[in-house]
Amino acid sequence: MATFILSRLEMVWFLVAGVLLVLNGVRAVDRSNFKTCDQSSFCKRMRTMGLDQSPYRAILETLELSDSRLTLQLINDNNKVRLLLELYRLQGNMTRLKINELKPLRSRFEVPDVLVGEPPTKPLSMVSRDEAGVVLSLGTDAHQLVLNARPFRLDIVEGARVLLSVNGRGLLAFEHLRPRKDTLSKISSTVGSMWDSIKNMFSSNTQKDSEGEETTEGAQEEGEEREEEEPGMWEETFKSHVDSKPNGPSSISLDFSLPGVEHVYGIPEHAENLRLKTTDKGDPYRLYNLDVFQYELYNPMALYGAVPVLLSHNAQRTMGIFWLNAAETWVDISANTAGKTLSGKVLDHAQVPSDAPQTDVRWFSESGIIDVFIMLGPKPSDVFTQYASLTGTQSFPPLSTLGYHQCRWNYNDQEDVRAVDAGFDEHDIPYDFIWLDIEHTDGKRYFTWDAANFPQPRDMLRGLQDKRRKMVAIVDPHIKVDSGYRIHNEIRSRNLYVKDKDGGNYEGWCWPGTAGYPDFTDPEMRAWWASMFAYDKYEGSMENLYTWNDMNEPSVFNGPEVTMHKDAIHGTWEHRDVHNLYGLYVQMATAEGLIQRSGGVERPFVLTRAFFAGSQRYGAVWTGDNAAEWGHLKISIPMCLSLGLVGISFCGADVGGFFKNPGPELLVRWYQTGAYQPFFRAHAHLDTPRREPWLFGPQNTALIRDAVRQRYALLPYWYQLFYHAHRTGEPVMRPLWVEYPQDVATFTIDDQFLLGRHLLVHPVTEQGSQGVSVYLPGVGEVWYDAHTFRRHDGDQNLFVPVTLSSIPVFQRGGSIIPRKVRIRRSSTCMENDPYTLYVALSPQGTADGEIYIDDGHTFNYDRQKQFIHRRLTFANSSLSSSNLSADSQFTTASWIERVLILGGQEPSAVTLRTADGSRSLEFEFDAATSVLTIHKPGVNAGSDWTVLLQ
Amino acid sequence: MVLFKEVLLPKCNESGGSSGYLPLALIMQYHIVVAVAICSAVFVDSRKIRGISLAYRKFYKEKKTFLCLDGSKIIPFDQVNDDYCDCLDGSDEPGTAACLNGRFYCTNLGFRPCYIQSSRVNDGICDCCDGSDEHDKRTRCPNTCRNLGQQERAALEAEMRAVDDGMHLKRQLIKEGVSMWQEKQNQLKDLQRILSGLQTKLEAHRKRKLEADAHQAKVMGVLKSPGDGAGGKTAARIFGQLDINKDGSLTVDEVQAGVVNLQDDRSLTEEEVTALLGGPGPADLFRFQQTLWRSLQAAKKVKIKADLRGDLGPPNEGPATRAAPSAARQGEANLKEMEEALETTRAEIGNLEKVLSTDYGSSREFLYLQGQCFQLVVYEYTYSLCPFSHVTQKSSTGAEVSLGKWRYWAGPQEHPYSRMEFEDGAPCWQGPPRTTLVTLTCGTETALKRVREPTKCQYIMELWTPSACEQQREARRRGVHSEL
Repeated sequence: MATFILSRLEMVWFLVAGVLLVLNGVRAVDRSNFKTCDQSSFCKRMRTMGLDQSPYRAILETLELSDSRLTLQLINDNNKVRLLLELYRLQGNMTRLKINELKPLRSRFEVPDVLVGEPPTKPLSMVSRDEAGVVLSLGTDAHQLVLNARPFRLDIVEGARVLLSVNGRGLLAFEHLRPRKDTLSKISSTVGSMWDSIKNMFSSNTQKDSEGEETTEGAQEEGEEREEEEPGMWEETFKSHVDSKPNGPSSISLDFSLPGVEHVYGIPEHAENLRLKTTDKGDPYRLYNLDVFQYELYNPMALYGAVPVLLSHNAQRTMGIFWLNAAETWVDISANTAGKTLSGKVLDHAQVPSDAPQTDVRWFSESGIIDVFIMLGPKPSDVFTQYASLTGTQSFPPLSTLGYHQCRWNYNDQEDVRAVDAGFDEHDIPYDFIWLDIEHTDGKRYFTWDAANFPQPRDMLRGLQDKRRKMVAIVDPHIKVDSGYRIHNEIRSRNLYVKDKDGGNYEGWCWPGTAGYPDFTDPEMRAWWASMFAYDKYEGSMENLYTWNDMNEPSVFNGPEVTMHKDAIHGTWEHRDVHNLYGLYVQMATAEGLIQRSGGVERPFVLTRAFFAGSQRYGAVWTGDNAAEWGHLKISIPMCLSLGLVGISFCGADVGGFFKNPGPELLVRWYQTGAYQPFFRAHAHLDTPRREPWLFGPQNTALIRDAVRQRYALLPYWYQLFYHAHRTGEPVMRPLWVEYPQDVATFTIDDQFLLGRHLLVHPVTEQGSQGVSVYLPGVGEVWYDAHTFRRHDGDQNLFVPVTLSSIPVFQRGGSIIPRKVRIRRSSTCMENDPYTLYVALSPQGTADGEIYIDDGHTFNYDRQKQFIHRRLTFANSSLSSSNLSADSQFTTASWIERVLILGGQEPSAVTLRTADGSRSLEFEFDAATSVLTIHKPGVNAGSDWTVLLQ
Repeated sequence: MVLFKEVLLPKCNESGGSSGYLPLALIMQYHIVVAVAICSAVFVDSRKIRGISLAYRKFYKEKKTFLCLDGSKIIPFDQVNDDYCDCLDGSDEPGTAACLNGRFYCTNLGFRPCYIQSSRVNDGICDCCDGSDEHDKRTRCPNTCRNLGQQERAALEAEMRAVDDGMHLKRQLIKEGVSMWQEKQNQLKDLQRILSGLQTKLEAHRKRKLEADAHQAKVMGVLKSPGDGAGGKTAARIFGQLDINKDGSLTVDEVQAGVVNLQDDRSLTEEEVTALLGGPGPADLFRFQQTLWRSLQAAKKVKIKADLRGDLGPPNEGPATRAAPSAARQGEANLKEMEEALETTRAEIGNLEKVLSTDYGSSREFLYLQGQCFQLVVYEYTYSLCPFSHVTQKSSTGAEVSLGKWRYWAGPQEHPYSRMEFEDGAPCWQGPPRTTLVTLTCGTETALKRVREPTKCQYIMELWTPSACEQQREARRRGVHSEL
């Protein structure tokens, strides 16, 4: 109670200081806090660049081809600046394209720590070469890379088909680094050559002959004199914030053409439909991690996270473009016709119908280099594998984190936590985690506890442990500047804070008032941060306490666009260069801390708000501060689908909506939707009335209980999906087109989705809904209503009448899904419970599925191969379980309790066969639903067995 | 043999203290259960009768078949407690977690028997104090029934004693309430009498004033009103003079002895004095300053008797008032004086009527809380609860915020006087006005024991009072009856 007032006072203080966004009751984002393309000088410069022929030309004489790498200089004929192009053919049907200045004045930032390693290459070979360009082979099939010299363009072709063109519209742009006009050119050229010599010491790529260098330099200087200065190149002001831009203009741009493509996806995070829209009429999609207060829907504005990966899809092929750049980035998408941009050497190789549709994509970033991975698919699953090979897969979460999470800003004190915990038992609703937001700390000093309200955190945690439940407490990356605060003192004395442009510690305002921002880009900082999670360092922590990283865009209340100044300094780099990486590093260091505290045994769980490519390796993300509105419920589906497509499977939206108060109908619908989304957490703003599931009358409590229980029954399936996501990079929650890539009707669907391959979910997201129209895909397939077991044909739009209790879910014919139908207080309590197998027969009378079991929380599945992974197959009237992983071992107490065969027939007898012999099983057949229920096979879930129907 | 209805058995997690159900019956049950358990020890503890209460054992006698308790199905007896759910009502698996809707009976010898949901059987959490729910032995559950029983019996007995003490106090409070109520009724009657007296006089004065005005118009203009008195010191002196017996308060007699009518030096009637003192009963210095002293300063109607005035000198009068007031001025002053007295009296009557119209409980047992405030300091805040009036929160930095004004009793129908609701406090930032819900708990003292703010700006307070005791006891008695 006291802390509420405190936080309010603080807010008032911020308001008085003219800082904290707009909290004056306006219920939508204050757009004026965030830049439009016009207000971001490089975006404006880049976007107004003409569509003339590209000034870039490849100097074929400079071409060098090693085994797997091609290098080639490009020259801008307007200013004579030379660029160095590197091309790699990567394993797994990918091409990497890097473009940097041949001799930059200073080195330009290349994103570290995102790729899991140096991507393995494959040999590149030259097919032909003439004055117009070269043709390279991309492997044994018909894949070739056609390089046109004048103007420079690249085309990737498959046989006679152009898959993708680079610089087809001539929008390659590279603002070379240059000395400031008002400084002595001698000084800057001295600095420049110093940089060169430093660079030469570390780089093997620039061991060029000195002759070429001199001509390049000469040309460059000459060119610079002609270069026009434009406003915003050397300093930029937004609202009252000045960006000093000491390095001047440095932006880059490149365009890609996708002939035959009408559907592109990805580049989260935006509050947008699954299928991306063309951006000709408005701003491009923006990727710049920002703390956006009360964000708007269907909008290209940047949000909390950024994954610069775009997927293209048509009935023939799925591809991906991964633009590895962590600076502010914008993506323009336009619709075109293929004939318009096809030119040059590629015409010798391929033809495209001139009226074929085409999608053009253009990326531009404020700094860094061009480093692009072109993932050539061709299947959706290939693209997932390709991207996973670059940036890694979803971390395998502890099983309990797939349960239900109860969060609120804030649970006020230990008694509050105890009472809410007891409330779940009283109302018989399972849950696994209760969360503490910022008020649990001593004055927003993370790693501490409020002495009055949380005097005995370990007692509280033990209380939860007694119920086999867990807790998450928030640890944000802004550190209160307070000489009495150990964390601050240590970071300061170790000199690990981000610096401002003048070299002092960067300070901004956030929850604690004045705060410093640890430089998480520094490995030493991350290592120290990780060490702070040790049980003896993080007082009051225990094994069942996990972590939530919020505000890690980073959020700076008094900074430009509520984030850090771009001229702040991280070691040798500007914040400008690393901005979109900051959040990833925070979560990386935190996850590492949770691993270390257990001696490397336990899997971590860390939720983050900001993210980047690769963040999937460190935990879960949520869609930030949404609102209790139907539109926000609806958009949670495409937002999480988009994240899943780019590797981040563990996604969820605040159930109930963060801002404002949901009515009971919205709250119930949100629980029903959240129960079928990967990360299932209810959360609410400090100012909202309480909304624990039992506060809306017995009927709504029952509806919510039922939704949560459906989630818990399906936990074995969820866990198995996450295991696959972890092994392969396949999304857990996926758009229909991923499984039905040739069915054009699925390409724009984003009000329903698949969980894995076998469950189709169409949550009710409309107020007062009487029914939903569900698209059941698959010609010749069947689907079974997961609740009534009624069978429906695929390839149809099915109208499903709904009541308040309905969650339209369908199991695909031909699948087997394991459930644990005994619902306990938490997932851990269900550990040894038996399985019920739901066998949904295909029209051919077959089905298959899997079962995956391990200890649920350690790395032993990986390090000691302690797991069970079995295939379940139904064919020829027999259901059998066979081992999928011969070299793994695990013992489970779980057994097979029951088998439901959907779409089955009545047998005369059912026999179980195991190594110990055979015996007959009881069964019952419901002719009305065609469901055969086989009682109690009783076999261990880890053993070989067969059930025969006669 | 079985004296209680099982359906009413408590859930295991219900504690004896506040649930308002069990205690008396329980103390008896302990003995019953102990006795029964000993008698039936002959055929206990096979897997088949696990999780079944004594009352239901008869349905689970070893036979060839078992009839589901809802009659829906007959199954081989082998399938009772075989960890597979056959009966729709879950009755075949009382001892396992197989049925979603099943329940497991904790015998809890030495404590209180109860049911738990089947889902709590073998889930790694000890629910029954005898540990019988975790029979798969994966989790070790010590038998804590005896301790719990002792603790609860002690707690119950202490609580019963406290309730008895509370009841005793409550009877006194009711008695006090009766006389307070009477007193207030008398006050009201007095005031009403004064009011009608004043009204009559006012009429007369109005008439007189009209005449005086006519006269005044001819004779002279209006004099300025006198300056304000010098305050407490002079007032205290006068008060001291008037307070003949020096007991710190003025009685009607004392005022009559020292104050006379301004115009004709006549003595004042009892009613007049009461009105001048703003009500019946002796007036202390403060009240004197607020009432009679003002009249004296205004010098419109009454004055200090000449013989006393000699000692005192004029009560800090300005030159204007020293001039002999004209008859018209005097008339006007008198009229105003009368009107003010009338207003004061009316207001007092209004207040008193409001107080008297409030619901203080079936025996007016909560009347004693009227006019009192109770404080509790939490962290940096001081909370103040004034029943039937208002609630405030004062921070250590000094700002006082209203958490609500008295609205009504908000308890459930069966215990209407168990909760008080205060609404319409200071509005929250970006939100609705603050509200406070006060729960009343039986206690031997009257004190504010706990304040919470589960949702921002919605406060919950716990007030202990002997007056809440009866409700609890009634609840207990009802619980007892239904269980016996």
